[in-house]
Amino acid sequence: MTQYTICVFTENSIGLLNKITVIFTRRRINIETLTVSETVRKGVSRFTIVIKHEKREEVEKLVRQIRKIVEVLAVFGYLNDEIVYNEIALFKISTPIGGKALDIDTINRIYKAWVVYWGLDYVTIQKTGTEEEIFDFFRYLKPHGIIEFVRSGRVAIGKTPQGLVEYLPEDQEWEYYL
Amino acid sequence: MSKEIAFMEEDIKIEEVKFLSGGQALMECFLAEGVDTIFGYPGGAIMPIYDALYDYTDRINHILVRHEQGASHAAEGYARSSGRVGVCMATSGPGATNLVTGIADAIIDCTPMVAITGQVASNLLGTDAFQETDVIGITTPICKWNYQVTDPDEIPLILAKAFFIARAGKPGPVLIDITKDAQIKSMTKPFDYKPIEGLPGYHPRRVPKMEQVEKAAELINKAKRPYILFGHGVLISEAMEEFREFVEKTDIPCASTLLGLSGISIDHPNYMGWLGMHGMYAPNVMTDQCDILIAIGMRFDDRVTGDASLFAKQARIIHIEIDPAEIEKIKKTEAPVIGDVKEVLNLLTPLVKKGDYTGWKNEFRKLEPREKEAVTDRDLKFEGQIKMAEVVKMVSDKTKGEACVVVDVGQHQMVTARYFEFKRHNSYIASGGLGTMGFAIPAALGAKMGAPDREVVAFIGDGCFQMTIQELGTIAQSKLPVKLIILNNNYLGMVRQWQQLFFEKRYSFVELQNPDFIMISKGFGLEGEKITERDELSDAIDKMLAHDGGYVLEVVVEKEENVFPMVPAGRSVSEIRLT
Repeated sequence: MTQYTICVFTENSIGLLNKITVIFTRRRINIETLTVSETVRKGVSRFTIVIKHEKREEVEKLVRQIRKIVEVLAVFGYLNDEIVYNEIALFKISTPIGGKALDIDTINRIYKAWVVYWGLDYVTIQKTGTEEEIFDFFRYLKPHGIIEFVRSGRVAIGKTPQGLVEYLPEDQEWEYYL
Repeated sequence: MSKEIAFMEEDIKIEEVKFLSGGQALMECFLAEGVDTIFGYPGGAIMPIYDALYDYTDRINHILVRHEQGASHAAEGYARSSGRVGVCMATSGPGATNLVTGIADAIIDCTPMVAITGQVASNLLGTDAFQETDVIGITTPICKWNYQVTDPDEIPLILAKAFFIARAGKPGPVLIDITKDAQIKSMTKPFDYKPIEGLPGYHPRRVPKMEQVEKAAELINKAKRPYILFGHGVLISEAMEEFREFVEKTDIPCASTLLGLSGISIDHPNYMGWLGMHGMYAPNVMTDQCDILIAIGMRFDDRVTGDASLFAKQARIIHIEIDPAEIEKIKKTEAPVIGDVKEVLNLLTPLVKKGDYTGWKNEFRKLEPREKEAVTDRDLKFEGQIKMAEVVKMVSDKTKGEACVVVDVGQHQMVTARYFEFKRHNSYIASGGLGTMGFAIPAALGAKMGAPDREVVAFIGDGCFQMTIQELGTIAQSKLPVKLIILNNNYLGMVRQWQQLFFEKRYSFVELQNPDFIMISKGFGLEGEKITERDELSDAIDKMLAHDGGYVLEVVVEKEENVFPMVPAGRSVSEIRLT
């Protein structure tokens, strides 16, 4: 199974997530992570979808089918070595009185993670990195007692010199741009 | 003093410009798009639209169907016979869900359709209100595009988008769901309709890239045994003339897919027949012999290819197609040409040379006697009980092959494809991709509306007939001279055939207790006749064709007839069976 990252640029409208996900459902492809936000261009959303698949050609077919959605402006599919990517994770770690002290120095220097909130009996630590780095840190923290753990979807940027937004159609070209 | 106030009030009234309501705006959009026919069924959540329609009945012909599925199939029939966008309307909830089968049928057969559904008022959305269904959610996977309108001001732009999307590129269905309040409320600005010619996310390429055309031409010019497979795309793009010119210039043999039927005249010397699961013998097996396969406006459906990995595996493939997602979806393609068939052929034909393919074409012709002996002669033996083939052949002869033929789904569909001798284009209207039983009655009435000057004849199985039998009422009320022929074998014939061939004759739920079809037809107000004997057939068909109005002819045919040739599902075309 190879990991693929699919970046989808769309008009920002109601129901679009559904229009995209039904294509995955039909082809029985599971979405591993999903991140959506507006791009620098107003009214344009960017979906970053991570999937695992055995066959590259099947992923290419999926990409072409996503392109068919009317509101989809552009779709790009990447292998991991073609992108710079990260996720963010938050850990709620129990710090009871008399418990094992957290080694903040190691957390900061080795794991590049930061305490972002201090509760009465717990702290919240934020870590950014790849899936592997986050799970590495997870294993490090586990003995302290992880009360809660949450990971975001992936954000990714291509290693090409151009930005992807440059590939999008220009607003001005389209008189009826919604 | 009081006089003065009254005067001022009158002034104010003049200032108040009354803008169109959502429902009226919709009607104006239809007029602007040249829509003159709508198939629909009213109901609670679409009443304001129907109220607006009341004032437009002089310009828009609304056909009241008996079930919303009939509306969507009728819109398909209309679109297929006329080449225009078919329009259907239904209310929210059950009305909208009843449209679904026709919408799914339209997307897989690339039929341009705009479906309008009413929806509960926007303040009730999501509350499980009376007749509320998430129609957008339901139809997302089966629509080319869908959209929910909650503000009448959106209507002109959204409808312009809808018609553009339905028509452009690979045509398909678009559903617009309009909340009841948006139908009632007035627009806040003057109605202004501008047709759309492109969208940021959708601007299908019509004119192909020249380098793709050149590469295709190079392959064609080098070919020794080239073979053209053409599909529905030739008809959709109205490229029949260009296609004929291309075939004649290159002298390459061609074969049609099921939906490509009538794309070229059946007498054309380069036309070898049609291929697919029940297609003809030579066109099927010769896919294993060609060196260059030129696929034009077709999509390598599994009913065409059988086992796709074995299909034409020796051939280098050129694929002319408007939808980039179809390229290499099924078959590795050496030379894709993305564009509209007409535009592609306009550029490609000047670049190709005439080849000497006499020997190659003869290889096709040499195989024909095998099929004639094993299948055609048996189907047209004129002995024993009447066979479906005889009926089709006779109607074909009596209409000089010029009728617009609508078929339902099953054995009769395949037999019609085999034995009707199409002389005119757009003459085989079938549910190809979805295989929707119940398609023919409503599609035939739609086809007649779309091509009123043509003789429309439908061949329908006894099972299919009962799926949309209620549309006989629509045909009667609309006074449409549609001719419906029931080929009655008292079985769900195709399923029975499969059970016979692949399930050891375990006939599981395929025999029907049929009603008296003619009595039912007469009950609806349609003339009809049932025949069981061969010597009655010719007169009965003459009577049907001469009748001025809708007509049902029931022909009792052989009960356990099988359709051959047949490529068993999922097998290679080389395993084609003739018996």
